[in-house]
Amino acid sequence: MHKLTINLEVNGRKINKEVNSHYRLLDFLREDLDLTGSKEGCGAGECGTCSVFVDGKLVKSCLMPVAKASGKKIETVEHQGTPDNLSTLQKAFFLTGASQCGFCIPGMVMAATSTLRNNPKAGIEEIKEEMGGNICRCTGYQKIFDAVELARDVISGKLDPKVLEEYSKPEASYLGANVKRIDAPGKVTGRLKYAADMKMTNMLHMQVFRSSRPHAKIKKLDLSKAKAVSGVEAIVTCDDVPGIDNFGVFIEDQPVLAKERVRYVGEAIAAVAADTLEAAKEAVGKIEIEYEDLPALYDPEEALKDEILVHEHYKTNLVKHIPIRKGNVEEGFAKADLIVEEKFATQPVEHAYLEPMAGLSYVDSDGSLVIVSPSQNITHHRHMMSKIMDLPINKVRFIMSPVGGGFGGKEDMIYQGMLALCAMKTRLPVRYVMTREEDITSTAKRHPSRTNYKIGITKDGKITAVQIKMIADGGAYGCSTEGVMRKAAILGAGPYQIDNLQMDTVGVYTNNTPSGAFRSFGALQTEFATESILDICAEKLKMDPFELRRKNMFVAGDLTHTKQELNSASIGTVLNELESLASWEKGTPNSRGASRKDLNSNDNRDSCFLGARLNEKSEASGGVK
Amino acid sequence: MSLTKKRGRGMAASWYGISRTAAMDQAGAWAEIDDGGTAKVVTGVTEIGEGILTVLAQVAAEELGVKPELVHIGDNDTSRSPEAAHAGATRQTYMIGNAVAMACRDSKDKLFNEIAKEWNVEKETLQAHDGEIWANGTNYKMPMSEAIHICKKKYGVIPVGSGNYTAHNTPLDPVDGSGSPWQAYVFGGQVAEVEVDTATGEVQILGIWACHDVGKAINPKGVEGQIEGGVVQAVGQALMEDYQQVEGHTTTGSFAKYILPTSLDVPKVTTKIVEDPDPLSPLGAKGIGEPAMVPTCPAIMNAIYDAVGVRIQSLPATPEKILRALDEKKRKSNGMAIN
Repeated sequence: MHKLTINLEVNGRKINKEVNSHYRLLDFLREDLDLTGSKEGCGAGECGTCSVFVDGKLVKSCLMPVAKASGKKIETVEHQGTPDNLSTLQKAFFLTGASQCGFCIPGMVMAATSTLRNNPKAGIEEIKEEMGGNICRCTGYQKIFDAVELARDVISGKLDPKVLEEYSKPEASYLGANVKRIDAPGKVTGRLKYAADMKMTNMLHMQVFRSSRPHAKIKKLDLSKAKAVSGVEAIVTCDDVPGIDNFGVFIEDQPVLAKERVRYVGEAIAAVAADTLEAAKEAVGKIEIEYEDLPALYDPEEALKDEILVHEHYKTNLVKHIPIRKGNVEEGFAKADLIVEEKFATQPVEHAYLEPMAGLSYVDSDGSLVIVSPSQNITHHRHMMSKIMDLPINKVRFIMSPVGGGFGGKEDMIYQGMLALCAMKTRLPVRYVMTREEDITSTAKRHPSRTNYKIGITKDGKITAVQIKMIADGGAYGCSTEGVMRKAAILGAGPYQIDNLQMDTVGVYTNNTPSGAFRSFGALQTEFATESILDICAEKLKMDPFELRRKNMFVAGDLTHTKQELNSASIGTVLNELESLASWEKGTPNSRGASRKDLNSNDNRDSCFLGARLNEKSEASGGVK
Repeated sequence: MSLTKKRGRGMAASWYGISRTAAMDQAGAWAEIDDGGTAKVVTGVTEIGEGILTVLAQVAAEELGVKPELVHIGDNDTSRSPEAAHAGATRQTYMIGNAVAMACRDSKDKLFNEIAKEWNVEKETLQAHDGEIWANGTNYKMPMSEAIHICKKKYGVIPVGSGNYTAHNTPLDPVDGSGSPWQAYVFGGQVAEVEVDTATGEVQILGIWACHDVGKAINPKGVEGQIEGGVVQAVGQALMEDYQQVEGHTTTGSFAKYILPTSLDVPKVTTKIVEDPDPLSPLGAKGIGEPAMVPTCPAIMNAIYDAVGVRIQSLPATPEKILRALDEKKRKSNGMAIN
């Protein structure tokens, strides 16, 4: 490995050190100096989690070769404050609740510090613009903006610094009080260690060889050249699995590493553990494979014909069909004055948690297999792992590391099996950190869906019948498809009393990237269709959309679509509160935007247009809207 | 404002079930009033960003009568903590919050047994809050630190409590789907205000008004944070995010190609929390993680229709789709004029 010597100052400390010449500044900070407050969210300068100061300027350290940092002064989040001595900005983040998973937060603190250093009087538009290079997936940014504006006003003297210490201590009860987040100080200072920040003595690095084919038989897998790479300790394939090599949340259809065939591009085939990341990568590059391509399926409706099978032994591509039947839809439609039929579709969506998948596995002195990872479901993972590794449950120990955003994406077990195989084979700690590209390509997505919708309704707005059929692409493996279909079916027709309902949700295997658990789990797809078609009906009936919903909404004691009696139903209160919160102007949803009187209130942000912020600057605002 | 920029509003309602779907759900926890009047809570839970550690510290503080900053929450470790199952399904506050509440009640009961003996009072007269314990109707009062010392050193009792909370959700009938998939439901609704540029097809979401029933809100600011974050994830789904593949190969494999909402894309979110407490659980709290983002996409699509008269039924509503729809609408109305 090529080395070079650099001289630089990091957080006030002079450093003269030999480093890997291919390192980026971020690698040097994290791997050589253990300054893991700077995170790698994307490695391509898109997300800002690695933001540091170089000679006082905000820089994405994943884009700077370490050689370029020589002779410079570097400042990282570790230099901004400590959990018991937070900077003004960090205190403001703490007070407003601006950190959720916390993975983007060190970068956000750096970007916010830069913003206020550049202009201590920055207005909200300038703050947004300056922080536009930092992505947050949890907070929706609002509490981050609140924090920066608060810090600005304290720094400028407009507000007493005491406001940063305050929190309204409850008189009688801690329940219902805005107690400040107890995990925030560790997050705003970059001290909290996520899986990729952890290191162990003699730790190996794992890399994965993945399928380049959507559907193929593996004719030959040659590991000889890869094994010969210096530093390689182990290469594992499906042949190394000691127990039952089939796992999954609902259907056990997934091997730890591809067995005989691959079913999607990006599917793991072999994993290499080596003493350096570089050696592991080199070995992956030297794995040789021969495929025999098979015809592949990319469309769920095509897949339902079962002419090609994704899992040949199942005889069908149907993963799960959930039916719900209530009343008689034919009779219901016969009573309707208006029948509307429409089609809806939703796209596959990436979770884009800022923390890419990462984990660490080792075998403890008592023989227990330990897996540390940001898994959202370690209880179930240990059951699956005990079968895979043929170990009793008490010898499988899962530790949940802080999760840098999950949103369902970290519920399925994805890479933990490979890590465990490498740890068991080498008896050394093994760490695996996915790149963003690897994560996006190989991990599950939100189910894309197509919905056919038919609704019958009377002149005065009472729904008489609903018929819904949703087809969803489950991709190559079952993952959470069954559960997603169930939730989509149960909730899909919305919070409405419907006497006659026919609901079907169908999840299907294809050779696309698997679909899995994602926040709102199927209900987002079907309820989108329901709430769209209700507005179409409201226009045709010349009825206000709130009114149409009120005519049909559940009340306590009603039977749901699955014939469960509701002990309570707050939808009426919610609609009333919402209507008044938004100062909604009643009327038919017939594209009346131009004549509405309820637009442009102060509860909106300003519209963005070219030069918008120049206007603000010329007003030299102190952050007013 | 430019002539091509049109504003409009739309609304949508929603509902959601709390905890695991159509299956029994359970969570366990241990609690111990510890030396110095502190507390230790161990349960299979780790923060995924939603603020659960803070919620559990509040619950433990309330139930045990200690300050929340003196509550230590142990790590989630399948070999060292009781099972609390998964961090998902909008179940953490509901399932684990109630399990912790029950474990704390058990622990406090054990402490109260000994302190009642010490003071020779009825256990029912004892109360604890904010680090102090007292007997109603008497002058007896002492710090929790002293109470735990007495409990251990004089009576030999370590007040360890355990709790288990179960949601009795039932499976669906395989033929007609009937069943009780959840014991707690939440309801929500949102209004969106958008500005659509008819020249470029670009949609800006300027405001979202979000009203959600969450049951008892343990930490209202945390609830707000969940709603704001959920809304913005849905803004991504509504307007820009689209994972694409060509013959199984990803073409959006980086954040340069897979577009996410940034600080410049997000609406101002105005939140109103409705509290309809769950009658079946000790805390009355329900949940908000997932339900927060359910009504956002249709509210936005309804608002786009209000603004420019085109309805996008296939997400996301990209500028290309909006322009195509506007074009089609124009052709249709021209056609009608000719006829």
